[in-house]
Amino acid sequence: MTSQAIFVLFNGMASGMAFFLVAAGLTWVFGILKILNLAHGAFFMLGAYISYSVGGASPASIWTFLGVALVAAAAVGVLGYLTDVLVLRRLRNVDYHYALIATFGLMLFCEGVAKAIWGTDYFAVMPPPQVDRAIVVGGAYISLYTLFVIGAGLALFAALEVIMQSTWAGKIMRAVSNDPWMAGTVGINVPLVLMLSVVASFVLAGLAGGLLVPNQALSPHVGASFVLYAFMAVVIGGLGSIRGTFLACILLGIVESANATFLSQYGGIAIYVLLALALVWKPNGLFPAQGAT
Amino acid sequence: MSQMSLTTVQCQQSGAEKRLGLILLALLVVLLFCAPSLVNPGILFVIGLTLVQAVFALSWNLLFGFTGLASFGHAGFFAIGAYFTGAALRYDFHLPFLLVLVIAGLGGALVAWAIGVVALKRLTGIFLAVLTVALTEAMAKIIGFSPALGEQDGLGNIPRPVIDLGLFDLDLTHGDAYYRFLVVATVLIVAALWWVVHSRLGRTFRAIREDADRARFIGIDVARYRVISFMISGGTAALAGALSAPLTRIVTLDQVNWLASTQPILNSLLGGFTSFWGPIVGSVAFSTINYWTRSFPGLSEIMVGGILVVVILVAPTGILGLIGKLRRNFGRKGGRT
Repeated sequence: MTSQAIFVLFNGMASGMAFFLVAAGLTWVFGILKILNLAHGAFFMLGAYISYSVGGASPASIWTFLGVALVAAAAVGVLGYLTDVLVLRRLRNVDYHYALIATFGLMLFCEGVAKAIWGTDYFAVMPPPQVDRAIVVGGAYISLYTLFVIGAGLALFAALEVIMQSTWAGKIMRAVSNDPWMAGTVGINVPLVLMLSVVASFVLAGLAGGLLVPNQALSPHVGASFVLYAFMAVVIGGLGSIRGTFLACILLGIVESANATFLSQYGGIAIYVLLALALVWKPNGLFPAQGAT
Repeated sequence: MSQMSLTTVQCQQSGAEKRLGLILLALLVVLLFCAPSLVNPGILFVIGLTLVQAVFALSWNLLFGFTGLASFGHAGFFAIGAYFTGAALRYDFHLPFLLVLVIAGLGGALVAWAIGVVALKRLTGIFLAVLTVALTEAMAKIIGFSPALGEQDGLGNIPRPVIDLGLFDLDLTHGDAYYRFLVVATVLIVAALWWVVHSRLGRTFRAIREDADRARFIGIDVARYRVISFMISGGTAALAGALSAPLTRIVTLDQVNWLASTQPILNSLLGGFTSFWGPIVGSVAFSTINYWTRSFPGLSEIMVGGILVVVILVAPTGILGLIGKLRRNFGRKGGRT
């Protein structure tokens, strides 16, 4: 029983941190642009495919693996810049319904492009050799890659917290997020900040794609399945709040993992119950952000 | 937004134009009814699917275009109707087919009511969008676990019904006969929705869409009317699903995913969500595009997604909005000379 509990805990944390790697960029761009980018998962998927194409199916070491993930992050960042210029920039002052529907269209477009380039076959990528084994913790087998994902998620959260709370860049970002007009009058280049935030969010999506590609089979639908959890985390946590999203990701991960272990015949149902309860109990999320509608 | 006020402009048509529109509409219905003897079965099937999609899109647009709420999981309602009808016919519930359709519609409305009462009062916009997507995904999961509903394989071999009308039986087992029934049902549903939109209820919905706060000030119970709109929309979507099951004779999980939920959004925006007829025009336009590009399967998402983005950025009022704009420009020039 304790080994099962440990297993659930570790797996849940790993799922939660995987969700957070995807959700971080999503909540960031929402906090600043007030646009929920439904295409975020599609760019995560493109990041995973790019790292598969660059790094191959079995990375030689953890350093090449990380390097490949950075290449994918940079490539998706460039795509993010193009998307911003072509689409997102035109959505800044329209009704949020249009923004939702346009990014929904963008998501389908990216899935179609992935199908056209890489086909609909599933690919598998192995974790790098240093983390491709299991250790025993309290009677439960825990894969080292699981620990790697947990570490990556915690590191990303710590980095975002430091950037947002204690650097001038984070302060500018929070100022723009709170009141773009006022930020403009005190001399902040608001369009530049918005553009950089979008690119940063896409870089995070690409990085998550590169880091999480050994986590599951790679197909054009991987984005849609992952991003749904990310949306749920962002909504439960409070739109635009990185801390809320982080906590909600852990909650979702552990509930999902417990569901898969103890109620495997109805796998994947519990998180929807959790979402419904959370929305009814706290309609604006655990940490409501300013301007969330 | 500026395009919101277009609906009122488009409503003010002259009497002659209205008569011309009615005549064209009647001609179209007659043509649709005679289609089985005019086109081959393949195209007839596509026309049947287009009718179903048109009803589905109208149901979504009642919510978005007329009440200002966006559901991103409308395929869930469609699937309720489709799976219920499929199961009722396949396992022979001993219910008259018309009653099955009514139950399917009421079932959709009931689920919409439950969601509406719990969620709609507090949630709008993004929260509603995520909730509707998530609930539809949860439903797909549950269907995937139910052996009676065919799990991942879908519910196949659905027989077409025979309607007992007391004096005689209406045999719909043949494809052409069911198609004609579908045309009649579609016309009735469209007429009912037209009436809803142009009634006092429809004007209340529009008041809420234009400005929920002002609607509240003049004494409209905004939450209650939003739930009513959600129920009519959900019920109609379930009815569209119920009509589709005997047509395609199979119901699968492909009808309960994101892509299926996008279809009514796309059709409404393509045709023009500010007009009542927009979703129908959009469904026809989309089916035509889809029929031409059917041999390139990978392209369908690129087409669907690309069209959505371009329509939003370039022509947010869709085909009918563009035509209306062109006509107004034309009319102004004509008036000057």
